[in-house]
Amino acid sequence: MTEVKLAEESSLTDDFLGQLISVGEVDILVGVPTHNNAKTIGPILEAIQAGLLTFFPRERVAIINADGGSRDGTPGLVVNAAIGDARRSSKLYALRTLHSISTQYASSPASGTALRTILAAAELLRAKACAVISPESSQITSDWLAALLRPVYAETFDLVLPTYRRHRFDGILLTNLLYPMTRALYGLEIREPYASEYAFSGRLGNQFLAQNPWHEETARAGSEIQFTLAAIAGGYRICQSFLGTKEHVERHSADLVPAMRQTVGALFSSLEPNFSLWNTKTGSQPILTTGAEQEFTLDPLRINRKRLRDMFSTGVTELESVFRSILSVSTLAELQRISGLDEGHFRYSEELWVKTVYEFAAAYHKSVISRDHVIQALAPLFRGRAFTFLMENRDGSAGDVENNIEGLCLEFERMKPYLLEIWNGRE
Amino acid sequence: MSLEQDVLWYKRAIIYQVHVRAFYDSNGDGVGDFPGLDQKLDYLVELGINTIWLMPFFPSPLRDDGYDIADYNSVHSSYGTLEDFRKFLGSAHQRQIRVIIEMVLNHTSDQHPWFQQSRSSQENPRRDWYVWSDTDTRYHEAGINFVDTEMSNWAWDPVSKSYYWHRFFSHQPDLNYDNPAVREEMWNVMKFWLELGVDGFRLDAVPYLVEREGTNCENLPETHAVIKELRRKLDGQFPGKMLLAEANQWPADLRPYFADGDEFHMAFHFPLMPRMFMGVKLEDRKPITEILQRTPEIPPSCQWCLFLRNHDELTLEMLTNIERDYMNDSYAQDKAMRLNLGIRRRLAPLLDNDRRRIELMNGILMSLPGTPSIYYGDEIGMGDNIKLGDRNGVRTPMQWGGGWNGGFSAADPEKLYAPLIQDPLYGFPAVNVFSQKKTQHSLLNWMGRLIAVRKTTGAFGSGSIEFLYPANHRILAYVRRLGDETILVVNNLSNAAQAVELDLRSYKGNIPIEMFGRNIFPRVGELPYLLTLGPYSFYWFRLRKI
Repeated sequence: MTEVKLAEESSLTDDFLGQLISVGEVDILVGVPTHNNAKTIGPILEAIQAGLLTFFPRERVAIINADGGSRDGTPGLVVNAAIGDARRSSKLYALRTLHSISTQYASSPASGTALRTILAAAELLRAKACAVISPESSQITSDWLAALLRPVYAETFDLVLPTYRRHRFDGILLTNLLYPMTRALYGLEIREPYASEYAFSGRLGNQFLAQNPWHEETARAGSEIQFTLAAIAGGYRICQSFLGTKEHVERHSADLVPAMRQTVGALFSSLEPNFSLWNTKTGSQPILTTGAEQEFTLDPLRINRKRLRDMFSTGVTELESVFRSILSVSTLAELQRISGLDEGHFRYSEELWVKTVYEFAAAYHKSVISRDHVIQALAPLFRGRAFTFLMENRDGSAGDVENNIEGLCLEFERMKPYLLEIWNGRE
Repeated sequence: MSLEQDVLWYKRAIIYQVHVRAFYDSNGDGVGDFPGLDQKLDYLVELGINTIWLMPFFPSPLRDDGYDIADYNSVHSSYGTLEDFRKFLGSAHQRQIRVIIEMVLNHTSDQHPWFQQSRSSQENPRRDWYVWSDTDTRYHEAGINFVDTEMSNWAWDPVSKSYYWHRFFSHQPDLNYDNPAVREEMWNVMKFWLELGVDGFRLDAVPYLVEREGTNCENLPETHAVIKELRRKLDGQFPGKMLLAEANQWPADLRPYFADGDEFHMAFHFPLMPRMFMGVKLEDRKPITEILQRTPEIPPSCQWCLFLRNHDELTLEMLTNIERDYMNDSYAQDKAMRLNLGIRRRLAPLLDNDRRRIELMNGILMSLPGTPSIYYGDEIGMGDNIKLGDRNGVRTPMQWGGGWNGGFSAADPEKLYAPLIQDPLYGFPAVNVFSQKKTQHSLLNWMGRLIAVRKTTGAFGSGSIEFLYPANHRILAYVRRLGDETILVVNNLSNAAQAVELDLRSYKGNIPIEMFGRNIFPRVGELPYLLTLGPYSFYWFRLRKI
């Protein structure tokens, strides 16, 4: 492993600071958090280069890579994306130097630490507009850079979140929990509150960098969603831009709990500090969206539905004692009832799902058990809800899928008083 | 070394470009003249220049500021007499100042007797001295230089009822260099001035001398053959005299004009000039280093001539469309500042009268490989007047003082060939030689110091260049070497202070001595050499191993 030399009381290495000095002030900064992404990063960097040079040819730009200790040569590939007098591009014309620099942050791979590094670089370089691009977004095109950055750089938006063309069954956690709950709580119809691509203004980045606690837990879990929430809480101007197709990334079922920690955990943990922000909000408002709001594709997709339901039933049985400390009696009883139903009759209704989620959120707040255990315990129940979502939408059109998601959102909004009731209320 | 002994003098030259009409009026008729220029030679000596480049001073209808010549062997009556010129030349030589003059080979005025005879009849012996045609469709691949005023390179002559070829204004018919008589006569013209004692010629518009169907009529082998013939005659009969090419071309296309050291001694590096302005505006060395990387090696006896501004518009021809748009938006937001494919402004207004940027640009000019050329008035930061037509806004009278006509002329102001700059910022009461001479830190005195420091080493004029590529792209750094002399140049192209680490391991053990203040800096070691530079500042270090 490369030896990383940290300056005293700084999250930035001396070497990285030296590179930033060379980059100097920029207008636009693109951050790319990576960890062993050599297989996918090449075309993504090409798209970033092309996007910057096509849509922002006169601006001072830099690509900043925050790497979590890749062993596959990812940082080298990023550094090679620089265009200057010592390194030219055979395909692209650059009016001015395009810096592309890389740093390895000191902790183990964590998206929060990567974001913090990118934000620190953005502040030091006085970037007016910044974008973060996922190293896995292999379908990125140069247009994404314009769609994300223009509203910040050329208009006055502070946060630009993406909308995508997704498979109807991609991101079920997003469509069944993160989007509807964020929307119900904070009153804004943000489709991707936990975005892997987004753009933000220098002032929002600086504020988040300064005010976020950046302890180990937040570094690991969900700083992206906290970033979105910080923008909402701070009254910053938010919009959405349609980017295009977001490719489905196959994930092992064992990835669900870590993903829930990063997303649901972050969302739940945001409720306490932002209580005054969400407790009075009712309903929701759309936000300005450029391009399509959200598109669904209907291609066939093999999903082992039976396994989902089995894991749900097993979870309800095995975690009963845990659920007793989290869920209300009626909710647990209903879950136990449906877990005994056969596949043809099993249905985890919107109302029951929303009630479940809200009771978990309250339990998380009260720390009735370890908060991490609360998140882990939600995983099998989410699988049951995912099963129902798949069944209910397997023959539906894109419009049907959208209507069902909208229905769930409205259910989250309708039942929000229930969350408030149990937040500080009965055990 | 006497003037005659120094055959590579142009490598050590600091050129001062001046129009006699604009410099000093000795007889109060409102137009500068040779006796006036003669009187001001000591000013130029004090500034430190050692070569004067005179713009056309020949009899002319002055429809293109003298580039439309009607008689090659005389002096325009407004500027004095041939005898006045001879006296001025003697005075300059006495002060070790050489004089190069303009020679417009490509075309004459349509008032020149040669053209008048040529158009008079098809049978006239001079008919074939110009390029005539029954149609206006020949050489259609050739571009139009003055796109703002000319629709075609052919013009209809009602006298001879045929078309004549002109690559510039229609009142400037091109000479026919396929005709040996033309070549011989133009050599005779050059010989006339060489025998009077001039030290060289700036040959105007050289790429266009010969036309051939199916080409863009630029840089043709036949044109090179004409130049080679002139050079051979020059070397044979007038050794030590110099030819300077005006060829607004890409470096690769310019390179053939040096040939094997047997065409031009010097050529203007046109593509570099706008990129220097672009580099400073972008705060990025990339445009400058890239064009110099693309600049081919030239024979040892040859030299580039570098300039920031001259009598023409700041030409943007040698730029890509993206670069040209950027330059126009950056330096000529007012469309009245644009002319043809260029920007008709002087140095100081281009740089927002920012003393730091003016100094930086001159510092780069004086330290890159080549011979620098200073446009008259830029040494005091003169302004321009874009309300005057064509390029006349950068050709206004020299501002000598704050009094009557800026000290340029005793004539009534309305008799001046052009109005003086009068605006509060650049006008002659604010910007003039007299007041700047009295101020130790004026731009004029700073320019004198810069030139004096440049002249302390031959490395700038004749040395090699090695670019350093520090990670900080705002820093333009290079090492100039000649023999035992090593000069390190570090320029900050940015509006903000910068830190830079230079890889100077090849110079380990050397002590950098700053050339202006002669202060010693820390010895170069194995580690990257850290320097900090203020906004738009630059250092010239002599590296000494003591």
